Amino acid sequence: MFKQINNLAGGEFYLITSLLIFLVFFITVTIFIMKLSKNHISMMSNLPIEDQQTTTNYEED
Amino acid sequence: MQLEKFTYDNKIVRNFGIATIVWGIIGMTVGLLAAMQLFKPEMNMGNQYTTFGRIRPLHTNAVIFAFVGNAIFMGVYYSLQRLLKARMFSDALSKIHFWGWQLIIVSAVITLPLGITSSHEYAELEWPIDIAITLIWVVFGINMFGTIFKRRERHLYVAIWFYIATFVTIAVLHIVNSFQLPISFLKSYYVFAGVQDALVQWWYGHNAVAFFLTTPYLGMMYYFLPKMANRPVYSYKLSILHFWSLIFIYIWAGPHHLLYTSLPGWAQSLGVAFSIMLIAPSWGGMINGLLTLRGAWDKVREDVILKFMVVALTGYGMATFEGPMLSLKQINAVAHFTDWIVAHVHVGALAWNGFLTFAVMYWLIPRIYKTELYSKKMASFHFWIGTLGILFYAVPMYWAGFTQGLMWKEFTEEGLLKYPNFLTTTLQIIPMHVLRAIGGAFYLTGVIVMAYNLGKTMLKGKLVEEEPAEAMPLPATIEDTDPADKKWHRVLERKPMKFMVFSLIVILIGGMIEMMPTFTIESNVPTIASVKPYSPLELQGRDIYIKEGCVNCHTQTVRPFRSETDRYGEYSKAGEYVYDHPFLWGSKRTGPDLHRVGGKYSNSWHFNHMVDPTTMSPGSIMPAYPWLVTQTLDISTTAAKIKAMQTLGVPYREGFADVANENLKEQADLIAKDLQQNNIKVNSDKEIIALIAYLQRLGTDIRANKTVIPSNQ
Repeated sequence: MFKQINNLAGGEFYLITSLLIFLVFFITVTIFIMKLSKNHISMMSNLPIEDQQTTTNYEED
Repeated sequence: MQLEKFTYDNKIVRNFGIATIVWGIIGMTVGLLAAMQLFKPEMNMGNQYTTFGRIRPLHTNAVIFAFVGNAIFMGVYYSLQRLLKARMFSDALSKIHFWGWQLIIVSAVITLPLGITSSHEYAELEWPIDIAITLIWVVFGINMFGTIFKRRERHLYVAIWFYIATFVTIAVLHIVNSFQLPISFLKSYYVFAGVQDALVQWWYGHNAVAFFLTTPYLGMMYYFLPKMANRPVYSYKLSILHFWSLIFIYIWAGPHHLLYTSLPGWAQSLGVAFSIMLIAPSWGGMINGLLTLRGAWDKVREDVILKFMVVALTGYGMATFEGPMLSLKQINAVAHFTDWIVAHVHVGALAWNGFLTFAVMYWLIPRIYKTELYSKKMASFHFWIGTLGILFYAVPMYWAGFTQGLMWKEFTEEGLLKYPNFLTTTLQIIPMHVLRAIGGAFYLTGVIVMAYNLGKTMLKGKLVEEEPAEAMPLPATIEDTDPADKKWHRVLERKPMKFMVFSLIVILIGGMIEMMPTFTIESNVPTIASVKPYSPLELQGRDIYIKEGCVNCHTQTVRPFRSETDRYGEYSKAGEYVYDHPFLWGSKRTGPDLHRVGGKYSNSWHFNHMVDPTTMSPGSIMPAYPWLVTQTLDISTTAAKIKAMQTLGVPYREGFADVANENLKEQADLIAKDLQQNNIKVNSDKEIIALIAYLQRLGTDIRANKTVIPSNQ
């Protein structure tokens, strides 16, 4: 299978760059998700089941 | 601040719901008809408008854009209003959206059987309808963003991100895959040719699956599943991670539809690598859905709606595991062009899209009608017959796929193809096709029962057209009291336009990296000096080939395997397709590949074969095309077609358009004369002459001399 990656007559450049771009993107998203507060996450995940109530004030707590 | 009172628009939700059911039944019935023609060609009812090549695109368009499309709008219009605590932005736009979409579907129902098609899979509709789709899609976008702007809920729930990504990506895909040069009111040529056209088409085709059949449904899953189970989604963090990874990765995977073709090797490898990676975000969604039901499995046992959801999610998981596996080159070599792909697609479509739609409808219709479901027993019956239908559909198709894929590749000890006659491999799987049609009929029966059940439910209750609601308005300016508010993702959750632009950038990266080099670097599509443009008659014949939808059963790309070069001839080169607007590589071999068919048989063989395929290939399941012998070729378009090709860069000499029809008639007379020598009397101005000219030209530009096989073989 690796032959498909390192035997592309110069095309490896596109492949490796693309994978690196994704890696950077993925790590960035992961880091920011880890930084999200629990409060916020629980408020967000409750949005659909509490859609008859108002939930705009949570940030004060 | 005071609570604001307003109402939700349920009428538009109901309308899209009814449209979903009606088009679902029609689309699936057409699918069943097409399926039956694959073992009994006479089921085309002897006329061109209901023959496989024309109704297969009708089936796919109807179930994707009419059934699933209306279901998406039903789900979005219901959940968006409630998640944003706001009525839809404009009732007028909602109506335009609804009726515009139905008109587009009706125009597809009219044009596709007439053979008016662009031939790009899942994008067959001709240019005026493409423009209408764009306009209506923009109406949908304005209505959605208008609602988002006037919302009373500050944060955008993850379902809405999926809707936004759907909107923006489908817009990009549809526009780029509709770059066509119109020739007349209902005929156009794609701007790109050959390899490039193939790359654009499958970048589109794959992502139509991603952003029409997947992301809006994930959005609906994230809204409706927590509602149905009455508990929040298992992991909100996972939903964020899988959202961004999914939309980033999906867009790259298109080239896995073109493995072993003449697409540059690096682009194929990129497609494979990203397809494998796609397992992770896809399963992120499935696991998040299934784990939302953790601790609620007792409910699943009793609640038929949750049962539908579990099968939908399981089907999603299976299809998204299988997809990456199929894109491994070794597996793709056997699976591609066979019924395996049909099975794969239908596991996704019948389970994920179908069952999720049914679950949402069973949940939503009683609610907006303020009543109970008419019959739980019927819903339960629907669930079981639908599940059986999926099994009866998928298992035989897998069996057929393995069988045919392996038979194509089998050699005898002497090193000859074991099944040199393609037809043997087709006849072998006919029982499987019969079973598949039974599976489809089961599934359709379930849908009809659902239609009755929901119809009765509607009659029992009364639609709450204006559902009252109240919420606090958002303050005009929002102060960020919490430092965490300034973090990028929380800002994005509140800034829909920025969110849209950001997701647009994310989805553009993949397409750009794959397309730019293929389009700009010449070495990626090496030209071949002996490849010449089609003669006017061949060009007209090619358009007959497109009109009859031959591409639905015959490929035009020989892969570089011994099993294929032995069977068909030299493998296909990128340079052979440079004048092919559009490319006609196809995706399924119900019949053999045709790229090297030119010169293989005599003109009279082709004539007899088109009039009645079984005379030349006993047992053939190809439909007969007797109308090609009686219908006169429309040559009033020849000049316009040549001119259009010149505009697109095909090197016909200056002024050729004016004499094209003379050239056409000369070639047609030669073919008619040749047929006459074989005791076939046909006027040279008939459609079949053009089609024969095209078939005889196919793949001959670079072919080494091969003797013609006489007509009696």
